[in-house]
Amino acid sequence: MRLRFCKGDWIAIAAVVLFAAVLASAFALHAAAAAGVTVEVRLDGELLFSCPLEQDAVYTVQGDYTNTVTVRDGKAAVTASDCPGADCVHSGWIDAAGRAVICLPNRMELRLAGAAEDVDIIVG
Amino acid sequence: MNKTRHLALCGLLLALALCLSYVERFIPLDLLVPLPGVKLGLANIVTLTALYFLGAKTAFPILILRCVLGSAFGGGPSALIFSLTGGLLAMAVMAAARRLPFLSIYGVSILGAAAHNTGQVLASMVLLRSVYAAAYLPFLLAVSIAAGMLTGTVSALTFRALAATGQLPARGTKQKRT
Repeated sequence: MRLRFCKGDWIAIAAVVLFAAVLASAFALHAAAAAGVTVEVRLDGELLFSCPLEQDAVYTVQGDYTNTVTVRDGKAAVTASDCPGADCVHSGWIDAAGRAVICLPNRMELRLAGAAEDVDIIVG
Repeated sequence: MNKTRHLALCGLLLALALCLSYVERFIPLDLLVPLPGVKLGLANIVTLTALYFLGAKTAFPILILRCVLGSAFGGGPSALIFSLTGGLLAMAVMAAARRLPFLSIYGVSILGAAAHNTGQVLASMVLLRSVYAAAYLPFLLAVSIAAGMLTGTVSALTFRALAATGQLPARGTKQKRT
């Protein structure tokens, strides 16, 4: 049993960094390739609302909890929620394709879909 | 170690894991790292201790009970799914990583923390039927390196202290008779 940090542990750190970098670059490439960005609001995977990111909008999602989604100045966010913890509100604003704000208690997803949505992104 | 002592030790570790996951909620980590859902993963110290000293067969029921009781005390059924998928993947990875001779407890702990985050993101991908949830994972993985170092440090100190007192036998060494 090794109890001291050793050279081999750098391999573990490198593996985690590599995995994170591959994943991040896959999403970055997806965002760069996107021509137009569409805001999509989904509940349990079902599309309830969508609009172009350039168009300002306010939409209220009613599930187990209530989320208010705001689209303004080419950014989108969950601006109000009555879910416990309100992690979705604290996630803040997103503005690039491939990004998403999730409210797990409500099973709500606010996603920014790129125009090339038909092409599946390959992750890790 | 006789059966009664073994059972008492399991109960103690379970209580400790529940305490740590409860206390963790009061640490305002999101002031330091502005990412929602980020945790230190202190209960992983118990999983590591159980894994190293008592083996996977004992660590497994402790983990399951910790997740079930933890969500019963606060969190609810959705919290149970996330803590179970994260916890089980972390345990599987750590049980395998422990066999790698070039890794110390720090490396095992970091891989466990990364696996825990990956498991939770996988659960949210299934629950929301969306690959977009994975966009958040790189940020969580970066934090998991620091969190894994921290839990690894605490575990290493704990192991040294326990081995020094002879309370718990280090695996592969002869048990001292008391």
